[in-house]
Amino acid sequence: MMKFAGIFWHKPLIRSKKQEGVLFTVPMILSAAVLALLVLCCIFAPIISPYSPTEQNLADSLALPSFRHLLGADRVGRDLLTRLFYGGRTTLLSAVGVVALSVVIGVPLGLISGYYGGLADTIIGRICDVVLSFPSLLLAFVLVAGFGRGMFSAVVALGIVYVPMLTRLVRSLTLVEKNKTYVEAATSIGYSDSRIMFRHILPNCVSTISVQITLDLAYAILDMASLSFLGLGVQPPTADWGAMLDEGRNFLLQNPFLALAPGIAIIITVVSLNICSDGLHQYFEPVQRKLPSFKKVEKRKAKETAA
Amino acid sequence: MIKFIAKRILQLILILFAASVIIFCMVRITPSDPVASMTQGRRITPETRAALEKEYYLDRSLPEQYVIWITNALQGDLGDSFSHRQSVNSLIAGRLPTTIQLVLMSAVLALVIAIPVGIISAVKMNSITDRLLSIFTLIFVASPVFLTAIILMLVFALHLQWFPSFGSGGSWMENFRYLVLPSLALGLNMVALISRITRSNMIEQLNSNYAMTALAKGIPYWKVVLKHCLKNAVIPVITVASIQIGSMIVGAVLVENVFALGGLGDVLIEGVKAADYPVVQGIVLMMVVVFLLINLLVDIAYAAIDPRIRLE
Repeated sequence: MMKFAGIFWHKPLIRSKKQEGVLFTVPMILSAAVLALLVLCCIFAPIISPYSPTEQNLADSLALPSFRHLLGADRVGRDLLTRLFYGGRTTLLSAVGVVALSVVIGVPLGLISGYYGGLADTIIGRICDVVLSFPSLLLAFVLVAGFGRGMFSAVVALGIVYVPMLTRLVRSLTLVEKNKTYVEAATSIGYSDSRIMFRHILPNCVSTISVQITLDLAYAILDMASLSFLGLGVQPPTADWGAMLDEGRNFLLQNPFLALAPGIAIIITVVSLNICSDGLHQYFEPVQRKLPSFKKVEKRKAKETAA
Repeated sequence: MIKFIAKRILQLILILFAASVIIFCMVRITPSDPVASMTQGRRITPETRAALEKEYYLDRSLPEQYVIWITNALQGDLGDSFSHRQSVNSLIAGRLPTTIQLVLMSAVLALVIAIPVGIISAVKMNSITDRLLSIFTLIFVASPVFLTAIILMLVFALHLQWFPSFGSGGSWMENFRYLVLPSLALGLNMVALISRITRSNMIEQLNSNYAMTALAKGIPYWKVVLKHCLKNAVIPVITVASIQIGSMIVGAVLVENVFALGGLGDVLIEGVKAADYPVVQGIVLMMVVVFLLINLLVDIAYAAIDPRIRLE
């Protein structure tokens, strides 16, 4: 897992003296707008498009882009753009499902592990070690082999795979938070452990967790697409970006859009999510170690020696 | 140092044991009929069924099956495939060379592309070139490996016809031509990560005192960058690259699928689809072992270089 902290400018839209901690920067707004547009297209797919995502129309088989079919049609004459929107529904929803599952399992485990320490921490830590000993998608393959093919088992499999990273993150955050005064105060009032963990410590970790979740969403989209592409995730005729790529690659010479369009949709979504995650990161933790560039140092040194 | 290595090897064995239990149980988590996977749905007499179950130890209890599997695996025998009428060992042996060659070629390609990109971004830090290179590499991370593979195939195999679009050659020398596009697809995915690390390490080295001293002595700029700083910056880069081999093994599965290379990945995916337990178990176990061994070697190498790590 990697983060692209600091690639983009993230300059604030409205210049103010206070440069730190601005959420609405140019890349953030652009990427958020792209994501919003995508989600809206997916939600309102039945209204935007006159076609059905599954109904076949063999007269239009492998039609090239035209006014009738803006991006062309696939082998059985289904409109590609329509399927792209419906596929977005499946892909985005399943990615959200993966992340939601990993949050529901990972966050409490991390809180318990960090807050109680001791035996609970050791056991949870070892389990995470074992899960992390698999390269991520490999464990998903094993789980899919066990659960059987299909979207649901792919979501569950990936959800489990994503747990340990989140657990470790929440654990390390909890370790810092639990020694702060407000936790001590809450303990002295006599609040229960679960109340302190979920009502007091968790809200203070939300900012960092949200950065990770945005990033995980991007990876979930990629991994779900990989599973569907291999025929282990979403099964045809359901539209899904990964499964559509799998179908489209057989017709690269007839109509390359069949494979490229869902692929580009994946890239755009993942890049936008990456930028959002990066922006959130800089918003929540604006202090970053910035080294001056080599040339600048040279110039500064030259100035100093001249003076 | 010996104590450190012994401790790490013990940890590895424990994790491997747990991983093998997980693999064994997860594959069997939902009840399905392995005999159906062997006979591919043909009707068989109860006697044949009993004989098949006996041959594959399916009549034993699960813990017994696990013990049989793991003791054989420790002796280097991964059992027999349900759907292919051959042993998992021979299945792996036939396919492994292609996969290894693919992963190694992509690792080399990734380094060859990423290190210069990282150096340029570091030297031109925060300039337009730096940003453009970052965005360019980010696109390859955001693009699923199989999409990069398909685009490369479309352009270089189908339209320009420079390289074959699928299959693999007989010997490993012949294989080179077949593996250029697949390993490029897999390598490009790794470029971003490696170049980012090269960049940050190079920036640190370029700002160090020894680089200043070298410059002050009148050594040309490019020589300081390429000879002095690169040497120090490249060690952590190699480490990260070798840890990435784990995700490259998985990426190889996807790329092999696109180019129909007939590598290990194809057998694994077929096995997953057909609920062919011995194949899935065997290949996954082998990949996990390779992944963990590489991590162990990296750790040991690091501890050898930096004694502080041993005390942790």
